[in-house]
Amino acid sequence: MSGFFGPLDTNGCVPAHQQTRVAAFLVSAHGALARQFAFALPLKLDSAWQTELNAQFYRETEIVSLLLRATSWTPDLALSYLVGSWEAAWLPKPIEGIPDQSLALAGDLAARAHAIHAGIRPAALLPVDANAHDPFVTALRRIEFESGRLLQAQILLLKGSNLSPFRDAVSVALEQRHTQVRELWADALKGVGISIREGNDRKS
Amino acid sequence: MPFLKYGSYRIRYELDGPEDAPVYVLVNGLTQYAELWTAYRDALVARHFRVATFDLLGQGASDKPALFIRQDDHVAALHLLMEELGKGPIFLGGISFGGLIALRYAIEHSQRLAGLVPMSCFAELPPQLYLLGNALRTGLILGGTSYLQDLLLPMNVSDQWLQPVLETLDKVKRQGWLINDVYALQNLMESFLDFQPLTLQLPQIGVPTMILNGEFDFLTPRALHETLRIHIPDSSLIIIPRAYHAFTLEKPALTADLLARFAEDVLAGRWQGKKAVYVAPEEAGGEIMPFPAGYDHLRAIPVQGMMR
Repeated sequence: MSGFFGPLDTNGCVPAHQQTRVAAFLVSAHGALARQFAFALPLKLDSAWQTELNAQFYRETEIVSLLLRATSWTPDLALSYLVGSWEAAWLPKPIEGIPDQSLALAGDLAARAHAIHAGIRPAALLPVDANAHDPFVTALRRIEFESGRLLQAQILLLKGSNLSPFRDAVSVALEQRHTQVRELWADALKGVGISIREGNDRKS
Repeated sequence: MPFLKYGSYRIRYELDGPEDAPVYVLVNGLTQYAELWTAYRDALVARHFRVATFDLLGQGASDKPALFIRQDDHVAALHLLMEELGKGPIFLGGISFGGLIALRYAIEHSQRLAGLVPMSCFAELPPQLYLLGNALRTGLILGGTSYLQDLLLPMNVSDQWLQPVLETLDKVKRQGWLINDVYALQNLMESFLDFQPLTLQLPQIGVPTMILNGEFDFLTPRALHETLRIHIPDSSLIIIPRAYHAFTLEKPALTADLLARFAEDVLAGRWQGKKAVYVAPEEAGGEIMPFPAGYDHLRAIPVQGMMR
């Protein structure tokens, strides 16, 4: 078990079964965010902050599109049950303790997006000698880079004035989403021989 | 790998050296991790100290709070570590962000310390540092950890350090990039957003204090260390020749030697702070010279002036 992709093939490319597992997870996670941003995005923008919602929707869609085209897909029987558990995890779960349901749902979406953008670092799985010209390698680097930027909208919302009266509830929900996402990510990787370092979810 | 429990989070720490020896606790800078003190651990243990290193919350192998983190959390976590160290003399050193945490700890728990070593440190956020901090944070947000490293490296180390590694800089940056997560770094940086100046509280630091400042420190220049020297009663300022902000990385043998000499002097009752200004030697073991009388140590040109 290694902390990185591999062994790489002679061209420095990531094995197809690892590409498939990682891309499937990322498509599921970012695809769910894209769907939920699409539902939240009005046809006519009423507020300045909704421009960010528009950006988030298109960046998430771009990530899915990129992965569908850059990945060397191969059959992975485990996906038949893994995808179900992933999709169930992305279902909305209003933050407990916030009476306004729409705000509680918006907070949950931000918490989940924060956990995905902050906690998933696919480019950190690439070994030093990964082929920089391989589209899958480039895609993972781009996804990690864009995730760092997308994260800012979630931080602004989660620290913003609307949610500040519920900081403890938000903090608990956010940590729970981080734990959930890290566990799913770690389990997905373990199945293809990759072991990531312990996160906050593995406390003694 | 031992861990301390801070609320629901774990703080990874390491203790090396004899249990009954005086302890040096070393606090990391912003993008650092405990292993970067390895040369200090080896040098100080060889000089009969016990050495405690740890990763701050959000760094290295310590837990990374998802969002809400304050400077108070770092001070409280440091206090937990101190409680593991017994009743013997403890010297506390910190670099940059870690120096600030060390200062805050010393203000609140001076009685627990035998000595303090703030390095590349500050008690105020004057406009230049405030704007630089904001620019670095924006750099992290827009360009990620790698871009932040690109900004910090040329500011923090010398041409002499950079030149031999220039062709392999990505390799040099990789470990820091792997171990630091953007969100955790951003949380650490944003714990500065509610920063309150410490200057008025500095006189509460009642322990011998050796302030270390690189001659060419661009990020936290001499004037910021001067504030520490003037307001910490039993202090001295030592200027490290040809050094930049991250001199702990660039000059470990010299800096570890200075740390050991300071603690040995304090333990032997030889230390006299007197708010004096010194120039460190170029190499470990060399003589620490008083800053030339009659010249202004805040200037880069030899301007004659009264010692402040």
